[in-house]
Amino acid sequence: MKTHIPLRTLSVLGLSSLWLAGCASPQATYVDPGGSRTITSVGTINIQDYANAADTMVNSLIDGVINAGKLESPGGQPAMLAISRIVNNTSQHVDTDMLVKKIRVALNKTGKVQTTTTMGLGGQAEDPLAQGIKQQTEFLQDKKNTRLPDYSLSGKIIEQREQAGNVRQSSFVFQLSLTSKDGVAVWEEEKTITKQGKRSTVGF
Amino acid sequence: MKLPLPRHCFPFAGVIGLSLLTGCASTINTVERAAPVGQRQMVNDKRIITDSGLNRAVRIVGVNEAPGEFLKIQIELLNTTSSLKSFNYRFEWFDANGIQVNSPTSTAISRQIEGRESIFISAVAPVPTAKDFRLKLIDSTQ
Repeated sequence: MKTHIPLRTLSVLGLSSLWLAGCASPQATYVDPGGSRTITSVGTINIQDYANAADTMVNSLIDGVINAGKLESPGGQPAMLAISRIVNNTSQHVDTDMLVKKIRVALNKTGKVQTTTTMGLGGQAEDPLAQGIKQQTEFLQDKKNTRLPDYSLSGKIIEQREQAGNVRQSSFVFQLSLTSKDGVAVWEEEKTITKQGKRSTVGF
Repeated sequence: MKLPLPRHCFPFAGVIGLSLLTGCASTINTVERAAPVGQRQMVNDKRIITDSGLNRAVRIVGVNEAPGEFLKIQIELLNTTSSLKSFNYRFEWFDANGIQVNSPTSTAISRQIEGRESIFISAVAPVPTAKDFRLKLIDSTQ
């Protein structure tokens, strides 16, 4: 028995299969975190915002302090940096290392700055094991071998929101200060990132 | 064939057309010192243009560098159109052997340029061994 399928039905089936094939793209895909295809949302600090702010800070630090020959350290060694308080004054939970770690890595790669992991705010070390080893070594050698940080890095992240009709606007202000042993802020920088939109969009 | 547009619609059409034209003509006027004190140290550059539309809206005018242990580059861009343009840019750095230098802060940065506006973008090399650079520009209209 021959079954006759009308041409219209065939066309609909063909188009539907094409449409389904089009929808069968992968659910997840990799994107370059430093590229321009990352998700941008108005109300939150996106990964590219941290990178953008860190890039501005590192550019400014290298240009204004290192390139200008203002970085001071004993005996030509790399200057030692300690991380102080980075205040989060935004409405969202922010891991400040999203900003600070990028800056630390970039400064470390310059060969001019190193960060201590055994000294922290309130005596809390970033690396307690390293702090313990250092203390044990000093005890066994019976001498203090503590080099104090030449600089400390502190800062604040602030958020400002506006709305006009359906358009929402968020501004995130990143502020950092580099303070010398003398208590003088030898370098300060501020970067504001402002985003507008109605909902999350892909790309900038 | 003539369109059956009523005669009394002509003034309204004219007003709408004029307002559309003025809405697009958002361009920048500038003033600066006739003989600048600072002298730019220009860099001979090589350009590869794959997006001619972007090249009209974000035209590279010139590249200059500043002396220092860390190479500093500044690039002047000019929007030759009369409308606002959004674009992304990203700097790449290379050492003396032509090997790319990676930086954790390297990212595409979004900028806007108004009609007929000239802007400068600059960057400092992430390491003192970086000797060459490349700037990538991409249209941010998705």
